[in-house]
Amino acid sequence: MTPDAEEPLPELDLRLTEENPEDLYEHAPCGYCSCLPDGTLVKLNATLLGWLGYAREELVARQALAQLLTVGGRLHFETHGTPLLLLRGQVRELSYTLRRKDGTALPVLLSAVLVRDADGTPLVVRVTLFDITERRKYEQELLRTRALAEERGAQLAQANAQLTAQNEQLLRTNADLDSFVYTASHDLKQPIDNMTGLFEEFKRTATFADPEAAGMVGMFAEALQQILGTISGLAEVVQVQRQLEEVAAEAVPLQPLAEEVVRSLQPQATDAGAEFELDFAAAPALRMARPGAQSMFYNLFSNALRYAQPGRRPRVRVSTARAGTSTVLTVQDNGRGIDLERHRRHLFQLFRRFHPEVAGSGVGLYLVHRLVLQAGGRIEVESAVGQGTAFRLYFPA
Amino acid sequence: MTALERNNVTVSGAGPGAQTVVFVHGFGCDQQMWRLMAPAFEEHYQVVLLDLVGAGGSDLVAYDPTRYATLDAHAADVLAVLEALELRGVVLVGHSVGATIGVLAAAQEPARVARLVLVAPTPRFLNDDGYIGGFEPADLEELFGALDDNYLTWAADLAPVVMGYPDRPALAAELTRSFCRTDPVIARHFARVTFWSDHRADLARVRTPTLILQSARDALVPLAVGTYLNQHLRGSQLLVLNTLGHCPHLSAPQITTTAIEQFLPSPVG
Repeated sequence: MTPDAEEPLPELDLRLTEENPEDLYEHAPCGYCSCLPDGTLVKLNATLLGWLGYAREELVARQALAQLLTVGGRLHFETHGTPLLLLRGQVRELSYTLRRKDGTALPVLLSAVLVRDADGTPLVVRVTLFDITERRKYEQELLRTRALAEERGAQLAQANAQLTAQNEQLLRTNADLDSFVYTASHDLKQPIDNMTGLFEEFKRTATFADPEAAGMVGMFAEALQQILGTISGLAEVVQVQRQLEEVAAEAVPLQPLAEEVVRSLQPQATDAGAEFELDFAAAPALRMARPGAQSMFYNLFSNALRYAQPGRRPRVRVSTARAGTSTVLTVQDNGRGIDLERHRRHLFQLFRRFHPEVAGSGVGLYLVHRLVLQAGGRIEVESAVGQGTAFRLYFPA
Repeated sequence: MTALERNNVTVSGAGPGAQTVVFVHGFGCDQQMWRLMAPAFEEHYQVVLLDLVGAGGSDLVAYDPTRYATLDAHAADVLAVLEALELRGVVLVGHSVGATIGVLAAAQEPARVARLVLVAPTPRFLNDDGYIGGFEPADLEELFGALDDNYLTWAADLAPVVMGYPDRPALAAELTRSFCRTDPVIARHFARVTFWSDHRADLARVRTPTLILQSARDALVPLAVGTYLNQHLRGSQLLVLNTLGHCPHLSAPQITTTAIEQFLPSPVG
């Protein structure tokens, strides 16, 4: 609502608001001064003289505006302010510090206009100065913070570059390791197969006088089996990795895949009287490469059977759930359990084994972990010795 | 980018064949600081104006702090502009640090500069064992404080100019508002290069006839500096103008113009 111009002013004694212009100039809540175009001071108000501590006659016609400033401000004003003022006719909001007669400093904001005479010749410069002591502190704090933020930003960028370089290095190392594992498994396989064949032939044809020979032959055969197991473990790692590189991720329906893996384990499952309970209602599919998903299920399910608690029928419950935007796949068994206090750090390392009394290669959990990481997920494990283990695999949406 | 684009060169006044006057601005502004004086020369001379790289409409991207760590790079830029315009024997008018840049250019390629006019020049701002430059290092640190205090003012209107949208109708207005504004980071660096420079030793390399124009009361340059320059620049003449302040070409353009005209050879080429 704008007041109607025709409406009479409210009843006020306007004499109270009539200012004496001279007094307003002298005692305005800001500093005023006027200079010649070259900066020579010609007029200052009482407020400004009070701030500076100078008598009028000490400044008028004797000093220039720039001389009231600290040396830094003077440099700035002479090189930047004056050109602006004389060419554009005004400067605004220049931040300077006045030097008082007693040497102390007063932060001010300076604005000025150039007044020209009728034929355009510069006549006088009118200057307004505002005391900004408090504001200056705040601004300097802002500037400090800004400088700090810029410094931190630079540090972050540097750290980021280092991380990127390290990451590239790790990727190269990883690729080298994969190719080493492939070469090792491939090159070892042939001579070990030869040894196995030779040993079989050797057992068949040779006779031993030493009564302990039979035991040693058995130990040799066992050692051979271990080497073969290790090599086939390595080969599996390489194979899964290669498959992952070749096969694209897709939404893999879990129910049929799990049933297929359970069927492939049927001989062991039947022997142990094992029971699988599958429930994928909450999340029926997972986005990953199919061979990876298959290897993951196979290793988790076969572990559950292999490390069953003696004297107890294995029960394996496999289910999915939603946790926020993630999908959780849980494989819960009632087997021997793992001593997590001791083994948690090594759980997913290649060739690490936690149940030496049970045959195994130490590859399964390593592979599962690797597959989950490659799908962008993570694994949590809960276990109680003698009661069972639950693997929870978290996959991002 | 050519030297002419890089330094935002403008050529005006009398056509080719006329004596050329090249104006080099100082710290804190750009070629517009010659606006009150340059028109007086346009009738008889070809007038060349330029922005030092980092200032005004120059190519800010070209401001590589390593290259511009000394004033010699700016002198090389000025010479590159003269080469691009195929100019020799020009009159070079430099203000403040622009005057030092002129000295360096004339020493480097004497054939390109026939006369030097140094407006409020100083070969060194800092006092030094017997030499009175007028400033102590602490004073100059204060200047950086003043630059920082005015950081926001300096930076406020800068972005549109830096980004340069030639098709934007508001550009003219933006340019007006950006008058004599400088990227705060560049301003800081150029200030350091300018106010810490010491080119006293280069004065002896100059063979060019030189006019030293000094302001009688210059807050930045003590009178003794004019005398020092006069003594060390062979064949120079010192003229102390009865003016106040560091920018006589702005505060007293008429007096400054007359002094330069009297020093110049006859404009008829």
